[in-house]
Amino acid sequence: MKARIEAELPFYFGPGRELFGFYHPAAAVKGSAVLLCPPFGVEQVRCHRLYRQLAHGLAESGFPVLRFDYFGTGDSAGESRQFEWTRCLADVITAASELRARHGGGRVLAFGARLGANAALAAAQSARLDGVVAWDAITDGAALVRQYERMQESLKVDLNRFEYPRPTLDVSSQWPGFERSDALRSQLIQLRLLDPGVASAWLYSSTPDEPSAPDEHRAGRQVRVEVEPRWDDVDSLELAILSHPLLDAAKRHLKEMA
Amino acid sequence: MHEQAFRFGSARHLVGVVGLPAVIDHGVGVLFLNAGMVYRIGPFRLHVELARRLNGLGYPTLRFDMSTIGDSGASGQRLSRPEQVVADVRDAMELLQQQSGCTRFVLFGLCSGAQNAHSAAHADSRVVGALFLDGYGHRTLGQRVRHYLPRLLSVSSWRHRFSRHATVNAAGAPHPAEPMFVVEPLPPKVVRGQLGEMLQRGLKLDFIYSGGVARYFNHIRQFRECFGRLADHPNMSASHFKETDHTYVLSGDRQRLLDHVEQWMQRHFPVTRPGM
Repeated sequence: MKARIEAELPFYFGPGRELFGFYHPAAAVKGSAVLLCPPFGVEQVRCHRLYRQLAHGLAESGFPVLRFDYFGTGDSAGESRQFEWTRCLADVITAASELRARHGGGRVLAFGARLGANAALAAAQSARLDGVVAWDAITDGAALVRQYERMQESLKVDLNRFEYPRPTLDVSSQWPGFERSDALRSQLIQLRLLDPGVASAWLYSSTPDEPSAPDEHRAGRQVRVEVEPRWDDVDSLELAILSHPLLDAAKRHLKEMA
Repeated sequence: MHEQAFRFGSARHLVGVVGLPAVIDHGVGVLFLNAGMVYRIGPFRLHVELARRLNGLGYPTLRFDMSTIGDSGASGQRLSRPEQVVADVRDAMELLQQQSGCTRFVLFGLCSGAQNAHSAAHADSRVVGALFLDGYGHRTLGQRVRHYLPRLLSVSSWRHRFSRHATVNAAGAPHPAEPMFVVEPLPPKVVRGQLGEMLQRGLKLDFIYSGGVARYFNHIRQFRECFGRLADHPNMSASHFKETDHTYVLSGDRQRLLDHVEQWMQRHFPVTRPGM
């Protein structure tokens, strides 16, 4: 275990070395590698530990893994308000190429939560992904924007967080914890979940929120997982999401696709 | 500005990102310690934003994960948690020294990060300054009066108390804190003693309290109630950002904090040439 953790490598990659990545090599490679596409904003921070655990579990099972941060998120270059959808999809393609280069070719699968799932699905063809496991993918982008804005408005008068409510404060250019651009808001309002044209599995939480409500078009391929991430709860902004059922389900479906 | 990721430490168990200014013209680097269990980017990316701001001013930085937090593993050494914290910070200082040449360090820590920064600053003479966000402080008579008196005199507070069973989870209404793991803080007498020793060594210390910790700190006057004559020391400063929350969730509050840290750094550790 210790030797394997030592072999894990944090690094910067991509044009201008703007993207932060974390490569988890596998001891006995099975032929497929896995790209982990993170969610956005506060959801990315909440999922960090879960993604690390998933990377460890997959690497132990023989799948090299690359975790990474989109431009404007995590340790990658760029300010938070510079995150936008077109660049996000380009980053998925760049990360898939990086993984393929480190892995030595072969099949590349992807896992993504929330907007990370949408990014993997939308970029699947361009990034030459061979399969995608999605968890709580956003089925209604406009509902996600409404949710973020509702949370942001309630935050500033939240007496669990602030000693003094600030109802007149203008926080309209922010979503919980982060600044956002008008371009990103428009892009997400128009976000639609498209068929990726590759193998896909759809995990959804036991209490899905409105933006990720299960889609009837994928009824036969959706799998319910006992996990309650409370995506829409302002009291959970600093709570890490940890779930063995989710890890087990993600690993099982990725192994089936490999 | 240039950033590079590292695996480092005595057992190569730590992970961090070094940020370097274009021109390094300064012997002081800044280390960011984990805020609770949040990984090295900090709450809502606070550490990333602040590190890059400081890089732009000419200061090298390292944001990293302590043992077993974020992407860092266990050291495999048989150390107590406080001993491991000090060992991790020493490893971090050595990395930043190798990468930037700086030999003196300022620590930045929020919440448990402030407690850890206190321990490391006390233990290692290379630390020349520290910023403690919602760090040590204790309830005083004045704090209790300021906290309870308005509530005793408030009609709405009594109304809320009588009807709390019905409204306990209503929107905007405070609810009891959920159970959580916390690190037992040092006793106030020990904290005062160690701060005194740090000041004697010449450390510059800045305490910033947010409105999110009103349960134990609710007025700038309380700083003197907590630390007595130490509060008057020229190398000791304190601020009370009573409007902000504990993790600076709003961008404007984060910018105010960044401005404050920038000014404090430039006042106590001035650079002669900017970094960008």
